[in-house]
Amino acid sequence: MRRTLSLLRIALRNVLRNRRRTLITLAALLVGVSVMVSVRGVLNGLQSALVENVVKGQTGALQVHRKGYRQNVLASPLTLDFESEPIAEKARAVPGVQAVAPRIAFGGMLAVGDETIFLFNQAIDPAAELKVCPKRGAAMHDAGKFFGAGGIEQVADAVLVTGELEKALRPAMAKTKDPAALLAPDRDGALSGENATIVGKVDLSGPGDRKLGIVRLDVAQRLLKMEGRVTELAVAVDDLSRLEQTKAALQQALGEGYEVHTWEEIASFVVDIRNMQNALLSLVAAVFMLLMLLGVANTMLMSVLDRTREIGTMMAVGVRRQTIVALFLMEAGFIGALGGSLGGALGWGLSSWLSADGISLRLPTSDVPYVIHPFVPVQYLAAVVAIAATGAVLFALYPAWRASRLRPVEALAGG
Amino acid sequence: MALLQLRGIEKSYELGKTVVTALRGVDLEVEAGEFTVVMGPSGSGKTTLLNIIGCLDRPTGGSYVLDGEAIGDRDFNDLADIRNRKIGFIFQNFNLIPVLSVRENIEFPCVIRGEGGAELNQRVEAIARDVGLTDFLHHKPDELSGGQRQRVAIARALVTGPQLVLADEPTANLDSKTSDQIIDLMLALNRDKGVTFLFSTHDPRVMEHARRVVSIHDGVIVDGTAAAAADVARMHGAGTSFLLPYDAAERR
Ligand SMILES: Nc1ncnc2c1ncn2[C@@H]1O[C@H](COP(=O)(O)OP(=O)(O)OP(=O)(O)O)[C@@H](O)[C@H]1O
Ligand SMILES: [Mg+2]
Repeated sequence: MRRTLSLLRIALRNVLRNRRRTLITLAALLVGVSVMVSVRGVLNGLQSALVENVVKGQTGALQVHRKGYRQNVLASPLTLDFESEPIAEKARAVPGVQAVAPRIAFGGMLAVGDETIFLFNQAIDPAAELKVCPKRGAAMHDAGKFFGAGGIEQVADAVLVTGELEKALRPAMAKTKDPAALLAPDRDGALSGENATIVGKVDLSGPGDRKLGIVRLDVAQRLLKMEGRVTELAVAVDDLSRLEQTKAALQQALGEGYEVHTWEEIASFVVDIRNMQNALLSLVAAVFMLLMLLGVANTMLMSVLDRTREIGTMMAVGVRRQTIVALFLMEAGFIGALGGSLGGALGWGLSSWLSADGISLRLPTSDVPYVIHPFVPVQYLAAVVAIAATGAVLFALYPAWRASRLRPVEALAGG
Repeated sequence: MALLQLRGIEKSYELGKTVVTALRGVDLEVEAGEFTVVMGPSGSGKTTLLNIIGCLDRPTGGSYVLDGEAIGDRDFNDLADIRNRKIGFIFQNFNLIPVLSVRENIEFPCVIRGEGGAELNQRVEAIARDVGLTDFLHHKPDELSGGQRQRVAIARALVTGPQLVLADEPTANLDSKTSDQIIDLMLALNRDKGVTFLFSTHDPRVMEHARRVVSIHDGVIVDGTAAAAADVARMHGAGTSFLLPYDAAERR
């Protein structure tokens, strides 16, 4: 113990001894680690914004369907529907569930004058929807008449369409004074129609159907002959980190005839993007780390060459081989831990500084601007410091071994 | 029994195709408490001999018994332990550890075997007093003069209470006045504390004090008295400049 302590003290002094060399190595670690940590922080912010936009702007945290619906989701089968209110009631009673929004997804056509366009529709209850997906509003333009927000009177047959659809329909809309018509096969397969007023635009918050219409739930239920019935419940939860538990409880409460899915299962592209980004960053981080640690190894090797006679002296007075190894490993460990900590602190600082104002950016898959607030979990910082320190020790193994294999006579003669 | 027994010690170096023989059959015995000086011209094998006696190097032939222990084919760590327990080293270029203070340098051989505490502190202080370093215990080596550094090295060689202290030209990097002081110090330690010194030098003044002079020529020990006298005569004749090889590079 006493021996280890005094070795540690010698190691620390040796690290401080060749100031310039230590500083260069530390600077390399500092830059590498801080870049790594702050990039990780930005990516964390981006990913959590991505998740939030999807969960609070599109899917909800959980979705409830009739059993077998997801398997057939591309057909959006209306026959796999259910009585909305009793199921919503049951869902709201489940602990962890915050709010529930009823929806119908259906394919149909929008006819304006002599122009008819196929589109995919989502029917939502505006008030309930905003409780589950509060970010939806931000993606919708001139949507006052749809939501009845801001003192604007709600239009009963209001429809919002994507920018692409709006552009395609604009010439036809200019030519005719007649209201548009929403046409769709109803639950029994018979073609049915309702008047529709295009009141605004909706932005896409992720990759998905570019030909999308947002319709009020009551209009859709009339059109589809599905009074009181829906195909989907979107569910908001109290705590996203307890998603799996809430999912299980909800499934339990609703029973065999229903299926519950998480946003991760529904918007799997978000998970894919996230995994890809993480893999890429890990690769870059590994290469960075490797280069930094090679720098440490080089420093240690130079140190061994510089201190050959000192190593010979230590051997002469009776220091054993493994003690020489330990001394150099300790020195590398100090450099790694110090560089890792300083770099981690700087990266954390950088990430927090960026987070204060947030970074605005637009993703190619989304019309909605993202504001990113970078953050770095403490566990990540601890892991980075631990990896830098243990990595430095590992990479110092060769120089330390070289030092310990010196022959005393030759080392004393100066190598 | 003698403290040191060397029988037919040989050492040769292979340099590519040629073989350089540094020692060719050295027989030597040293008794505990002796103050022995090894003399010989440059390249005669003094350093090689001291390195073998100090268990820093292995002979290529012959046998060596130190304090009743045969130093045969022991591994590195065994030899390190023998050096630590039984042998003190004093080097021509001091070889102190620069990051350690005088106190830490002196106690280093004890610390690496796990000693410490008040007992060690007292021992270090006593030795520092013996070598005249009491006021310098907290200094770093680069704050000391050459003579003071060599005193630290002497204290470090003595701290473990070794059976044998080896000094290979310990005064070669010191001016003549400091050399005299260092030699006086070692003689006093030999006389008062019974420390066994084996010590190589070019310096004929040492001879005047040495109880015993061993002369080595071309890798063999030559007849004690006659050859030594010849060496002394030759060196006196060579004048003082020859007596003080000065390695500027070591003096940084
Ligand atoms: N590592 C080595 N490789 C090859 N030859 C060596 C080596 N070390 C010593 N020698 C040779 O061995 C012989 C004895 O050398 P040694 O250093 O023991 O002499 P020395 O008496 O100490 O000389 P000096 O008074 O100059 O220090 C010399 O011929 C030298 O060239
Ligand atoms: Mg020599």
